[in-house]
Amino acid sequence: MLTTPIFAQAKIYISSEQAQQVLFPGKTLTKSPILITDDLQDQLRIASSIRHPFQGERIWRSSDGGWLVIDEVVGKHEMITYAVALNAKGSILGIEILEYVESYGYEVAEAQWRKQFVGKTANDPIKLNQDIQNIGGATLSSKHLTDGVKRVTVLYDLALKNLSVKSKQ
Amino acid sequence: MKLTIQKLIAFSLVLAATLHFSLAHAGEGVFGWIYTLDLQPKGKLEFEQRLQLNQTQAAGTYDAWTARTELEYGLTNDLQVAGYINSYYTSANQNYTNPEACGDTPSCTGGYGVPSSHDPSTAYRKSGIEGGSLEAIYRITNPVTSPVGVGLYLEPTWGRNKDEIEARLLLQSNFIDDRLILASNVVVANERLKFIENGNVPESMLDILVGASYRFAPKWSAGVEARFHNDYSELNLRNQVQRATFVGPNLHYAAKDWWVTGAWRYQLAGGTCMGGGEAECSNARVWDSHSVNEYILKVGFPLN
Repeated sequence: MLTTPIFAQAKIYISSEQAQQVLFPGKTLTKSPILITDDLQDQLRIASSIRHPFQGERIWRSSDGGWLVIDEVVGKHEMITYAVALNAKGSILGIEILEYVESYGYEVAEAQWRKQFVGKTANDPIKLNQDIQNIGGATLSSKHLTDGVKRVTVLYDLALKNLSVKSKQ
Repeated sequence: MKLTIQKLIAFSLVLAATLHFSLAHAGEGVFGWIYTLDLQPKGKLEFEQRLQLNQTQAAGTYDAWTARTELEYGLTNDLQVAGYINSYYTSANQNYTNPEACGDTPSCTGGYGVPSSHDPSTAYRKSGIEGGSLEAIYRITNPVTSPVGVGLYLEPTWGRNKDEIEARLLLQSNFIDDRLILASNVVVANERLKFIENGNVPESMLDILVGASYRFAPKWSAGVEARFHNDYSELNLRNQVQRATFVGPNLHYAAKDWWVTGAWRYQLAGGTCMGGGEAECSNARVWDSHSVNEYILKVGFPLN
């Protein structure tokens, strides 16, 4: 199966299945959607400053206790879809850009930029121009993706972590 | 070269269509007349074609078409330069009614572009290449990462009808995931008009432009913009002669490969003339280069 992101006229498409293989190679993933209450939605918005609502349907649990979350943020013209992989302790294993349909700024999909997020947790700022470097000429995409990744780490802290504890009991 | 409005529109459409088939990207202006701080990234080149129609003055006919054919280039991520070719088509006939302009006759032909030597009892039509402009925009702060984006704009113009140096202070704040844009331009210009009197008539202008644009669906934005206009009969904003207010909607569509913006602004009643410029007013509106309705259409195609 093809697991390399496809770059074509600044469009980047990989499927969620491909993202799962890239981020959790050899692991079994089980879909684990969660209900996003209004209260949780508010907390995610406050922590990340993202107004676009988080959807809880695209969440998977890996066989080693990790999590894969697929989310979307506002791009310049259309939504940017991305995936975040967390280990069982909520630390970022990696991110992948699934869909990016913009004029420019596709550098956000390059490994060099994405690897800045690896190892970070909700306790890190995960903020553009602080611990995440901006891409000149792609500021909007860089900022929204950075805020989006922050939102996913906060989601772990507020909701997924508790699920991990419950499943161990 | 003799231009007609049909040729002007056809030229714009052919150029736009040709570029559309050969290019693949976009950067854009969501407002009709307000400049934002969305600049070309470093090394990116964009073609833009602008067509404006100022239509209807006090009476008769007044159609003033202006076209701008532009190339924009990002020297750095925060410094954009551009060059324009400006062309025009003016058709005026019995469009003034102010006795100070028309004397004993109920109407006469006048307004921006109509030379002093023209017989005001007859229609006036003229078209051609007006001249060229250069433009530089420097972004001091980016509204995506700062509460208020600030930029400076400078544009010298050399033309058949006027030479002009225009400066703008650009202000912009973004909200709701950068989908809501509030923007303002403070515009100051010194001009030398060449088509009237001795061909060297000074003027200056102060405009405050404000607007809002909201991206209500992927690729689509809509909003409103207003213009508070002041004209002066001397350089450096001395001796005010006109005051007028315009307001209207804008609509913007942007795909990956191209974008288009259309806007209309309507001159509200309540405009005034003073300081020796009274002949340019009637019906509580300001004429000169202004009209009841102003329409603009812009299309853009990034070239690399």
